[in-house]
Amino acid sequence: MVSLVINGQRISAAPGTTILEAAREAGIEIPHLCYHPAFPPVGTCRLCAVEIEGLPKLEPACSTNVKEGMVVRTESPRVVEARRNVLELLLAEHAMDCPICDKAGECRLQDTYQAYSLAPGVYAEDKTRRGKKIALGGGLLLDRERCVLCTRCVRFLESVTKTSELGVFERGDRSEIGCVEGRLVDNNYSGCLAEICPVGAITDSDFRFKTRAWFLEARETICPLCGRGCAVFLESHPGFPRVPGTAKAYRVRSRRDERVNGHWICNVGRYGYGYLEKSRCRELAGPLAKTLNLKAATDVVAPLAAELRALKYKGRQTRVAVVLSDWLTNEELFLAGAVFRRDLEIGRCHLVGPRDGSPDGMLLTAERSPNRAGAKALGFNTEETTLEALARDTDLLIVFGPFLQDRFRPADIASAWAGVKTKVLFTPRDEGLGAAFDLVVPTVWPAEKDGSFTNCQGLIRSFSPALAPPPSAVPEWRLLTALGRAVGLNPSFYIPFRSAGDVRRAMP
Amino acid sequence: MNREDELFLTRDFGLDHLHRLETYVSRGGYRAAAKALKTMTPDAVLEEVKAANLRGRGGAGFPAGIKWGFVPRGTDALRYLCVNADEGEPGTFKDRFLMSHNPHLLLEGAILASYAVGIRTAYVYIRGEYESIARRLETAVSEARASGWLGDHIAGTGFGLEVFVHRGAGAYICGEETALLESLEGKRGHPRLKPPFPASIGLFRCPTVINNVETLCHIPGIIRHGAEAFLKRGLPRDGGTRIFSVSGAVARPGCYELPTGSSLRELIYERAGGVRDGRKLKAVIPGGLSAPMLTENEIDVRMDGDSLVEAGSMLGSGAVIVIDDETPMTLVLEKITKFYAHESCGQCTPCRVGTAWMARIAARLRAGRRRNGDVDTLHRLASGIKGRTLCPMGDAAALPVLALVAKFRDELERSS
Amino acid sequence: MSHNIPDRVKRRVEDILSRYPRREAALLPVLSALQEERGFLSHSDEEWAADTLGIPPAKVREVVTFYSLFRRKPAGRHHLQVCTNVSCALNGADGLLSHLRKKLGIAEGETSADGRFSLSSVECLGHCDEAPCLMVNDEHYGRLDRRALDELLEKLE
Repeated sequence: MVSLVINGQRISAAPGTTILEAAREAGIEIPHLCYHPAFPPVGTCRLCAVEIEGLPKLEPACSTNVKEGMVVRTESPRVVEARRNVLELLLAEHAMDCPICDKAGECRLQDTYQAYSLAPGVYAEDKTRRGKKIALGGGLLLDRERCVLCTRCVRFLESVTKTSELGVFERGDRSEIGCVEGRLVDNNYSGCLAEICPVGAITDSDFRFKTRAWFLEARETICPLCGRGCAVFLESHPGFPRVPGTAKAYRVRSRRDERVNGHWICNVGRYGYGYLEKSRCRELAGPLAKTLNLKAATDVVAPLAAELRALKYKGRQTRVAVVLSDWLTNEELFLAGAVFRRDLEIGRCHLVGPRDGSPDGMLLTAERSPNRAGAKALGFNTEETTLEALARDTDLLIVFGPFLQDRFRPADIASAWAGVKTKVLFTPRDEGLGAAFDLVVPTVWPAEKDGSFTNCQGLIRSFSPALAPPPSAVPEWRLLTALGRAVGLNPSFYIPFRSAGDVRRAMP
Repeated sequence: MNREDELFLTRDFGLDHLHRLETYVSRGGYRAAAKALKTMTPDAVLEEVKAANLRGRGGAGFPAGIKWGFVPRGTDALRYLCVNADEGEPGTFKDRFLMSHNPHLLLEGAILASYAVGIRTAYVYIRGEYESIARRLETAVSEARASGWLGDHIAGTGFGLEVFVHRGAGAYICGEETALLESLEGKRGHPRLKPPFPASIGLFRCPTVINNVETLCHIPGIIRHGAEAFLKRGLPRDGGTRIFSVSGAVARPGCYELPTGSSLRELIYERAGGVRDGRKLKAVIPGGLSAPMLTENEIDVRMDGDSLVEAGSMLGSGAVIVIDDETPMTLVLEKITKFYAHESCGQCTPCRVGTAWMARIAARLRAGRRRNGDVDTLHRLASGIKGRTLCPMGDAAALPVLALVAKFRDELERSS
Repeated sequence: MSHNIPDRVKRRVEDILSRYPRREAALLPVLSALQEERGFLSHSDEEWAADTLGIPPAKVREVVTFYSLFRRKPAGRHHLQVCTNVSCALNGADGLLSHLRKKLGIAEGETSADGRFSLSSVECLGHCDEAPCLMVNDEHYGRLDRRALDELLEKLE
């Protein structure tokens, strides 16, 4: 380890660490634009210049390695003067349209200017007019009047996707980011460009003008849209109390996890969050709800438990079929295993998840479920089943998850299952499938619950709710715990489970 | 010292056809290469060049022998020589002069440098505007190859070298050695971060020596006549002669080869015939456009690196631009700032934005549209560029402006 | 690629490629060879270079637009490049440039209607001893005044 002093604070860092990274580790943030931890430093924005005792010039912290005994100052008058100077230059030709810029509130340039400068501009020359709405492909728009030429976007496409759709064209102050005619940005990671742009030069039409960054709450979660399970932030608006429907998710951003996704997420995960709202199952429904006068999702537990218990006592548990999904958490699958397989000794527990897609060779896997590996590890059969097999000699069919329609046509489901006496669907989404069921119970999406997934690498990671579910929706683990208790074959087993964490601790 | 002195690069430049191999050989050409390859070890060549205190003639003035010494030795790893013939510093034309008159001298220097460092491939990076010189060099390369002075087994020894002429395409910045490497690799001429230095990671990620044309042209003389003789032609810490490109408002613009440390006044008044049309000297840029200018009362200075630094300027490429008393300084300022704004690679903020901003102010001053505070802004911008860019171009752009503002502030502030 | 590249250019490109250990390094000379054919680099020239050298097209465009000798628009048969840097300016370069503007009726960056001349102002050409100087295509001309320039233009068909 190398020992050095930054702003009077003694710090030790691994040899080969840059000053910027060592400082960051120690909680000292050095302003920067072009530096990004995913790329080798280029040292071009010059915002991170710091004073190093014994050296005549300021040196870029992003590209200067720590040395034993080094004394660094990141906030000295010389450093701050230079920083202001760079800010003045960057802002001289900058668009200054922060009031209508999507990046406002999370803009590195704006933040640094507010922290260090707040100097009025003295630039008295005519500003160069540059393109403000250049379509880059992938729904991205480039505003060259906002661009600071940090080249993060170019370097991302060069080193991460290796597609190099963007380049720096022309030179000097005529330099501009661009792509070649007919060769727009076209890859499954293009959404990262708007995210890594430190200013509002690249904006994303998915987010453009929809809300302001400062309204959003960013919560950690795991992307459920494939087996990778990338670490993400789900950003949502808490909603205006008197305006219904304003609380909703606006954006998914990548969250650094070196074991899984590094700094990036794919477009499927970034833009796929629409499922959270689309055809959302919000209320208990189905003819049986009326008959039995059920009001809330949890009201389902008692009659269902009674039915299951009755079948079990008659030794007719073979007339029950259960469909689970690999979107359920490890805890839920564990509970389902305990209730249906261990306690009730139901043999037919099948897994139906979304159909596989094509993997992209980077993060996106073929399976479009977050927990196939977890389901396998818990001993669930992930092989395909048929509607007929599920309906054969079946009186009670319990389905968890909204993915039947990915595999079967709704009309086929209705006709194949017409002879099944009772069909119950637990789902966060209802796309017209509910009509085939006697009871439809609203549940929650992974982003709205506690739990853990085992990703395609075998990593088990837990998560907490990042979003509030619809008021009447209940997480599956809670329903399964209640069901286990109500079935009464092994009630004490379920009593301690007051949270998903409790379940996790009980798991082998 | 007379012009017949064999250590003068330009000694034979009066001869017709010196650029042809036969003529060059008849005047002693390739004897240094033969001597080195047959009788000296690579280390001995390196030591001789180190002892000669041959400072680089491209602009930075770094000792060539020390630069060569930085290349890791004792491995078979690929190494490259890049000859920097991207002569772009305004006012400089000495490398063109050398290459057009005596391309074989450069090739012989390249052979010696390569032998000393263990290099088998050399690229001459020549600016694209020198197309006719590039062709002349290519002819010289073919001649040398045909006569066994290039290729495998040079002079019947086990040493071999291939030389390729690589044309630039119009970018001043490619004279900066790491930008040159980027350009030679087929990319934009963006200077690289240092370290690593080219001697350890250079062209195609291999150890690389980059020398200016004039620097390499001195090597044959040093090897033939020894470091001691070379040192006698210049100063102890800065050996040999230098070719000064003199232009601007002088009676006889041209290249003049003088011992390092000769007087600037003498160069202007005795060699270049003084200021043209009987005008007076107003200022002199002594080392290429990037060098801070000197005024009439500052020109009694010796033309060597240390003396010019002491005088507040720099020797740079040894290009002397004389400005006469009828030239408005707004014109000079406009041309200087326009040049750097045009040539900035655009990578780093201070240079990209600062040079363009200065050029806009200068253009207004020149057009008589001065605003209050313009000169202060110029000074502030130049100060903000100086020492704060990734490559030396920031200083190159800032220093001449700072000098001009310091020495001609009154004139600039009177302009309207 | 449907782009028609003459065989002599392809042979030249092969020769250029033989000088470098990596294909991408040949980009500048290959682009120069392509530009020599028609006086400028078209989009399809860029694509051909990208394809031949295994470089993404955006990287080729980066290079084409960085270097001032590459042109993406046709120039005149005689491309007049007037140096306006200090040494030439001290010897009347600005006057020569405005003379050319008036005489040819075109500004910098433009081409005369008959396609004979195009004009640009450039930075130091390294011929300061012959200031003021200009380059017509690859050839240098120095020590020019208006009359010498007029005579030169006469000779350029």
